[in-house]
Order: sequence, then C-alpha cells, then structure tokens
Amino acid sequence: MRITFVKKILADGQPCRKCADVESRLAESGQMSHIDRVVIADERDPASEGMRLAMLHDVVTAPFFIVEHTTDKQHSDEDGPRITVYTVYLRFVRDVFGGHRDNVAEAREAMRANPDLGLI
Amino acid sequence: MAEPSPNIAGSDTRVSTSIGGIAVAEGRSAELEALRLLEDAFGAFDRIAVSFSGAEDVVLVDLGARILGSDLPVFSLDTGRLHPQTHRFMETVRDHYGVAIETLAPDPDELVDLVRDKGLFSFYRDGHGECCAIRKIEPLGRKLRELDAWITGQRADQSVTREGLPTSQDDLAFSSADHPVKKFNPLANWSGRDVWDYIRRREIPYNPLHDQGYRSIGCEPCTRPVGPHQHEREGRWWWENVADKECGLHAQNVAEPLRIIDR
Repeated sequence: MRITFVKKILADGQPCRKCADVESRLAESGQMSHIDRVVIADERDPASEGMRLAMLHDVVTAPFFIVEHTTDKQHSDEDGPRITVYTVYLRFVRDVFGGHRDNVAEAREAMRANPDLGLI
Repeated sequence: MAEPSPNIAGSDTRVSTSIGGIAVAEGRSAELEALRLLEDAFGAFDRIAVSFSGAEDVVLVDLGARILGSDLPVFSLDTGRLHPQTHRFMETVRDHYGVAIETLAPDPDELVDLVRDKGLFSFYRDGHGECCAIRKIEPLGRKLRELDAWITGQRADQSVTREGLPTSQDDLAFSSADHPVKKFNPLANWSGRDVWDYIRRREIPYNPLHDQGYRSIGCEPCTRPVGPHQHEREGRWWWENVADKECGLHAQNVAEPLRIIDR
C-alpha cells in the first residue's frame, strides 16, 4: 500500500486550515509515519503536483488521500495498482488503519468537503 | 394511477429516435442523453436508486419511470424540516408513477442531541453544515451502503461549486476501498429552462412551491423564494457566502478552467 496525502496552499499563500488540522491529527495519532508522500496542491500554480493529481482523480476539494493498493493481486500489472481516493479523512482512517465507524462525524466531514451535498 | 407514457408529450413532436422502445423527439439531445445514461446505469448496476428531493428533480423520476415504470427504485431524504407542500408532492409523485418512495429519516439520537444542545435553528448561527450532516447526509450515507450507484438531479448550473459537474463520477464522498459508489447526474448539462420545458411539455406534476417563487426547494427554514433575476442558489442558505468554501480547489491564473480528467 502506498499512501499520498495531498494538502492545499490557498491562493493567498496561506495553508488551508482543514489540511493543517488533518495533518496535525495524523501526526498526533502516529499515522503520519504511514504516509509515503505529502504533496502540495498550490492554488497559485495549477501545474503543481497536487493540482494535477486532483484533476487526474476527479477531486475538487482538499485535503485528500490517494491509496494505491500495491499488493492487490486482483489487478494485473498492466492496469497498475488499484487506487482508492478519499476526500473524507475519517473514512480514510477507518479504511486504512481500522477503527469504529462514526457515521455522523463522517457525514459532517463529507458535508464540509462537499457543501453541495446539502442541495441533494 | 396514470401509467406514464413512454413517449414525449405533445402530438406535434416528430419522433426521430428510439431508445429501448422509448420514442424521443427530434432536437431533444439532452433528453436522449439522459435516457441513454439512465438505461446504461440501470443495466450496469442492480443496486441502484434515484434520489428524489421533492422538487424539480421530479424530471429524474419521470425519465427513470419511462425506462423502468413503477419498478423504478426511488428514495427521499426526509429531514423533518421539509415544507408540507413537499410532503404532499411526494405523495402525488408516488401516486402518479406508482413508484414506492423509500423515505429516509435522521438518526433520532443524533437529532435529539443536536436540538437539545443547539436548538432548532442553529444553522442560522453556525452554518447549515452540521444540521445537514445529521438530517440529510448521515441517512444518505446509510442508504448508500446498500447501493453501488445512485442517481441525482444535480445540474451544473445550480451553483458555482457545481461547474464542471460530470454526468457520471466516482462518488468520493461515500466510496471506500471495499465499496466504491458510482454517482450518475443525468441532468448535469441541463439548464433550469430545460428542466421546466420538460416538465411543461410532459405535463408532469411539480411542487406547488415553484408557483410561489421557490426555484430551489430544500428544508423550510433554509429555503426562500427568489426574484426573476436572481440565481436559484440565492434561495438557499442566503445568510452564508456560497463562494467562500475553503476546502474547494480553485486554480488561479489559468486561461482555461481546470478540466477534470476521468480515470
């Protein structure tokens, strides 16, 4: 498994608060040691790796995680590893590191990352 | 109950295309694309359902019923704060199409905690995110754990944050490693005018609140009528700044808008 954490730099050069919050939670929990790469999506630079990864994986919010299931035998080498993209941190943590499900906390985070869900 | 007609309403329409035995009139490519998308989606997924909000997304129910008839799987999120007109309209739709509408309710314990701690109108003070998460998104997430795909009436023109909305996408908000969820948005490229042309032409029922100036209909405290020159999004959560969403990725200094590349 290979994990990429994509965090954002805002157009004014400031780090995104949600990204900083998630990063500190990763650090406090010790989960940061399982993150293989930290990539910046810089709103001032659409060619930045994080912005390109967002486009590639159809992501419109940050932070997000790209998990490559490198040991998944169901996929051939030609297809490359199976990839799961997470825009909800709590779901990422539950899926990758285990733990109990907190439906409402995940819903709150999904709502924050995808405000248009309120229009459903 | 009136059986939904498989053909487009209006005797003056010239039938030029057929999809699965459903006639589509000439010049209605958006309608044809939506029907094709739905037919493909229903063919590809057994565990799939339409999300119906009780508003103008009744178009989605009509399109789906043209393919599956009364077998169309439909669910609605009843937040407990909907207008009575919306509840009655849901019954009208149920009767008109003969479809069983599964109504999803919020977790009662979470609701009790929210109202006890913050009152019934916390969204005016704290923003609508928390209330929507409990009343709408958590029940939706529960439902989507039973499904592999869902169909929404979302359109790109409904808000600034929906620009570039694809007609189908991996639903990253609800997918997990062992349970990917697909989301279909057959109306993504429709305009509000397209929707209302369709409703009038097909003479399908609609929520009477639309006749009172409501263009976007959600919960009663969070929805208001808008004027003819206002965007429909201005009728929802008007006390918040819709463009001020820090989590969104907004590219700067690009001549072309960022285009999402499908995996």
